[in-house]
Amino acid sequence: MIAKSLHRILFISMIIIGVIWIVVPFIMAILWSLVDPAEPWTVDLVTPPVMSFYRWTYMWESSNLKDALFNSYLLAPTVSIITLIFSIPTAYVFGRYNFVGKEIAKLLCLLPLVTPYFVLSVFLTATIISFGLSEYRVAAIVLAHAVMFLPYAIRIMTVGFEQVSQEHIDAARDLSATTFSRWRVAYFPALRPAFFASILIVFIQSIEEFAVAFILGSPTFVTIPTLLFSTMGQDFVRPNAAVLSLILVVPNVVLMLFLEKLLRTANPAMISGKGLK
Amino acid sequence: MLAKYLFIILCLIPGLGIILALIGFVTYIVIMQSIGLNNLFGEDEFTIKFWDKIFARKSYNRSVRYSLYIGTFSTIFSILIAYPIALWLRKPFRGSLFISSILKAPLLVHGLVAAFLFLNVIEYHGLVNQLLQYLNFTDQPIRMRNDRNAFGVLFLQTWKNMPFALLLLAGALQSISDDTLDAARDLGASLYRRFIDIIIPLTISAMTAAAIIIFIGAFADFTFQKIAGPRNTFSLSQLMVEYRGRGKWNEAATVGVTLIVLSFFGAVLVAFIINKLFKYPGWLSPVKMKNIKSIITRQK
Repeated sequence: MIAKSLHRILFISMIIIGVIWIVVPFIMAILWSLVDPAEPWTVDLVTPPVMSFYRWTYMWESSNLKDALFNSYLLAPTVSIITLIFSIPTAYVFGRYNFVGKEIAKLLCLLPLVTPYFVLSVFLTATIISFGLSEYRVAAIVLAHAVMFLPYAIRIMTVGFEQVSQEHIDAARDLSATTFSRWRVAYFPALRPAFFASILIVFIQSIEEFAVAFILGSPTFVTIPTLLFSTMGQDFVRPNAAVLSLILVVPNVVLMLFLEKLLRTANPAMISGKGLK
Repeated sequence: MLAKYLFIILCLIPGLGIILALIGFVTYIVIMQSIGLNNLFGEDEFTIKFWDKIFARKSYNRSVRYSLYIGTFSTIFSILIAYPIALWLRKPFRGSLFISSILKAPLLVHGLVAAFLFLNVIEYHGLVNQLLQYLNFTDQPIRMRNDRNAFGVLFLQTWKNMPFALLLLAGALQSISDDTLDAARDLGASLYRRFIDIIIPLTISAMTAAAIIIFIGAFADFTFQKIAGPRNTFSLSQLMVEYRGRGKWNEAATVGVTLIVLSFFGAVLVAFIINKLFKYPGWLSPVKMKNIKSIITRQK
């Protein structure tokens, strides 16, 4: 009885905390993005007196938002594809081969996760300057992003390669399939969810990345996080920051939900090797 | 055999090779610049004067202490909050997925957006001040941003990192089989003993992984500190960026080396403490290693 009551109290408390934790701050952000400058939102009012999309159109027309969106959404897919290409050979040997030092190699692949990003950014800038490669900053950002997010891609692709059924590979070989055909019929169908998962994770990480874009890219190369950071400095205009926050967070949430659905619907028959048509 | 290893090495180059090359090269440049070599401008000369200078600076020592404070407490708070929740959510019940999703939602929110949301709540015109004024607790809004003790930064770090700890711990806790816990109960283990001697030791890996990643992230924080942190203290990342902005690359390199070294030793220390505290039989367990040894000797 006591346990049941305690469970109920905890459940209700968690719902309340959850609402305060995430729902209220986002409602505040949405309201602030809709504040019309003609009628300011004063302390005594619970909601803005006049709501409009003025800030959204203002940010679109008068700030670097267009450039930031273009840069972020060009950078992220480029990084995703490059990272995937870099990760495949390494993930293949991690997933399909046993060799001495495999666990150490796997552990070393996690190095970017424990390296402070700002150290990497600041001294990659130093390296670029020292080699006289300042005009290739964007390429350096792509490279830095690829290295920073390689651990995710390698990990996901390794699991993908581990799950390719040996029976399918052997069957294809027994039927005299060429190397290319074996990859086409045995590997690619089983690896498809891992491909998409890797691309999406790296895409989201790259869109959100701040340190490298800020240190290496500023002031000429603007991304959504660096633009948001600049609006939150000394000239903090809250409605503008609200617009940018929502632009940064909403597509990522949608992509993450898509990713989760993708991972849940990954074909179990193909992975387990059972029930293949 | 040789062909196989050659193939493996060739395959490792695009992934692991690039990681080692870039991280290794950047680490090399940071270390070299901190001792006066590989300079961007001016002559190269081996010297430890930059280290002497930086150790003598109060701002540097304050930054080290401050970053350690943020790293340590963010890790402790995140794990302390996440563990009981993960334990509670171990067995699914009606609504558990909803609660879990809401609590993990900050994982999808960018750190800068989190900082903005936080400012919305605590600023002069934030929800807290509105509420305090509405309830007549105060006439004037209270300044809560950039507080001296960095409670705001700690709150933000916990808000952002707790869901990550929850994700790892929930996975580890859900993988503990009921048979193991039932067996312990049948052998007379109390709730406390089952928790200390079975549940916690089986989740040490997840706890260590979460703690290390949270510690390094919070220790090397820049954005939360810059937006919500105290104005009179810099985090180490902030100090490094500050030096770099003033063209003092060697001083920035000394701070960079400090960040790398303390991140590494901090992570090792975190792993050591968790292992000492919680492995079976840990400091909290009523069973001691010497008791186990004596039982084994008696059985022999």
